[in-house]
Amino acid sequence: MTKNILLSAKGLSKSFGGIKAVNNATIELKSGSITGLIGPNGAGKTTLFNLLANFYTPDRGEVIFASKPIHQLPTHKIARQGMVRTFQVARVLSRLSVLENMLLAPQKQTGENIIKVWLDRKTIKKEEKLNREKAMSILESVGLDSKAKDYAGALSGGQRKLLEIARTLMSDPKLILLDEPAAGVNPTLINQICDHIVNWNKAGISFLIIEHNMDVIMSLCDRIWVLAEGSNLADGTPEEIQNNPHVLEAYLGQ
Amino acid sequence: MLNFIINLSNNSGYIVSLTILTSVFAIFALGLNLQWGFSGLINFGHIAFMTIGAYTTVMLSLSGVPLIVAVIIGAGLAALLGFFIGISTLRLREDYLAIVTIGVSELVRLVANNEEWLTRGVQGVRRYQIPFVDWEPGILGKVIAIALLTGIAIFAQWQLLRGIKNQFKEYRSVQNKSYQPTKPIVCIIWGAIATIVILFIYINGIISLYNYHYQAGLMVLALLILALVYSGLEILVRSPWGRVIKAIREDEEIARALGKNVFFYKLQAFMLGGAIAGVAGSFYAWQLNAVYPTSFEPLQTFNAWIIVVVGGAGNNPGTILGAIIFWTYDAVTRFLLPQLGIDNARLSALRIMVIGLILMILVMWRPQGILGKKEELTLGK
Ligand SMILES: Nc1ncnc2c1ncn2[C@@H]1O[C@H](COP(=O)(O)OP(=O)(O)OP(=O)(O)O)[C@@H](O)[C@H]1O
Ligand SMILES: [Mg+2]
Repeated sequence: MTKNILLSAKGLSKSFGGIKAVNNATIELKSGSITGLIGPNGAGKTTLFNLLANFYTPDRGEVIFASKPIHQLPTHKIARQGMVRTFQVARVLSRLSVLENMLLAPQKQTGENIIKVWLDRKTIKKEEKLNREKAMSILESVGLDSKAKDYAGALSGGQRKLLEIARTLMSDPKLILLDEPAAGVNPTLINQICDHIVNWNKAGISFLIIEHNMDVIMSLCDRIWVLAEGSNLADGTPEEIQNNPHVLEAYLGQ
Repeated sequence: MLNFIINLSNNSGYIVSLTILTSVFAIFALGLNLQWGFSGLINFGHIAFMTIGAYTTVMLSLSGVPLIVAVIIGAGLAALLGFFIGISTLRLREDYLAIVTIGVSELVRLVANNEEWLTRGVQGVRRYQIPFVDWEPGILGKVIAIALLTGIAIFAQWQLLRGIKNQFKEYRSVQNKSYQPTKPIVCIIWGAIATIVILFIYINGIISLYNYHYQAGLMVLALLILALVYSGLEILVRSPWGRVIKAIREDEEIARALGKNVFFYKLQAFMLGGAIAGVAGSFYAWQLNAVYPTSFEPLQTFNAWIIVVVGGAGNNPGTILGAIIFWTYDAVTRFLLPQLGIDNARLSALRIMVIGLILMILVMWRPQGILGKKEELTLGK
């Protein structure tokens, strides 16, 4: 049973000065699942993501990913373990092309080694070709293939969100952390994103999703964790959460 | 035509040193372009790397170390300086790097000025070994040198044509893109100018190799190293490594989220840029014949910035173009202005003023530099 657990974080805490942004929070998700993380504004969801992905060092607590403690690792090694995050406000590399944005993501590229750039050009060329094909097919699936050679900075907000999600896929992750993938995206596109998430999930990728759009959360997730004022409020299946009086109270206020 | 060639051969020595200076500053600025143009690292003390390369080369060769080894050690020490600056500041916010580079460059200048046991201080270093000085080429030697020069000229022209061809291709595939590529006519004009420059340097090079003087040999070597540094950098910035570096320039959080060791990449770029400036320093020392601390004023850092900005940041051909423009400007004003009856003291002030003016006009008219892309300035994060 425990073998099935992909990510488990226990007792995570993080304060900014006097604010306890995350206070003794716990989260756990199974391999192959789509898990939701909800809570009112300022509940500490994004901060919790930052702790999981080691963008912030936790004051206390531990993060176990794929049976390995990762909270001591440097930030850049997290992606190599197979966990990639997106940002609440989509971040793209403006002055690089959409395709280059995609090609940045694969891990352990030979051509990232400055010496091999000059000495092993053949291998690099081969890798680049494969990565480019993969990138184009992912871009095609999210409808950005016609933009491949354009600057990423010229994309609209929704397109940037798509690009950011597509980019995480390029690094062959086990788990993708999505921070509000549906925020600022039109309803048709939201449906498309949801379909993609389901498809990618079938292909074996797990998701942890922060989202205020309850339709998205309820339709996608196997399990939902609720955070309020930095601490766990509840967790359970979508039905359990929908009928939990504490959750309604936290969202609607008293 | 004959007139032109006679004229050229009378001035060929001057044009040879101009070519060497241009190559030296092109190499120097290519180092800065890697650091700032591609990696976004602000280096306001670039001259420090050149100083270290120059002094190491001349002092070591004076004590009998072979020239090649001296140059390599000079570049290595320049990279080491980059390493120490890098590990202390590259983890911090970017402005710290800018401030520390200013400080370190001043420190290096003071050492060159005052530590006489190491650098001979203000009296400077003279009579050091310079490549080709004792070389008396026979016919074979000259033929080899000319063949080498021809090879470099063909390489340059080939690079130029390839660049123009790519611009054409981009222009034709303009649909579905949010930006406006350079118009073909503009490409052709620039291509023609560049071709004339290449031909000019080539013909003058052949003349000077024929009437051999050691500077002609130095020129071929400087052009060769420039070609090597340029092509090495072009491969690098188009590789996955270059992509990571550019990504860090854009937004290092993204690079980090995607598993790139941001600090390490910045350090590599900074050190390599420093090492390249170190190599430029060796050639600068050879061209100068004698090195004094005053040859390495902070103004040289500023000159490298001008070259990069004029050519277009993050564009290697642009940087070479910038160096050519910079030294053409220098030569033209040095010869033309005195003929207008302006005395020397006013002259140097005027020249700097005009540089300032040109920069202001450039920033208003073409802030991205001559070969830069405008969209790269206006795209929001
Ligand atoms: N870097 C920071 N420095 C100081 N305070 C911070 C920082 N990041 C977050 N906080 C504070 O921590 C609390 C939780 O913020 P967080 O961004 O995690 O909320 P959230 O649940 O993601 O909210 P939202 O749904 O609005 O995105 C807030 O009170 C916020 O002001
Ligand atoms: Mg948030």
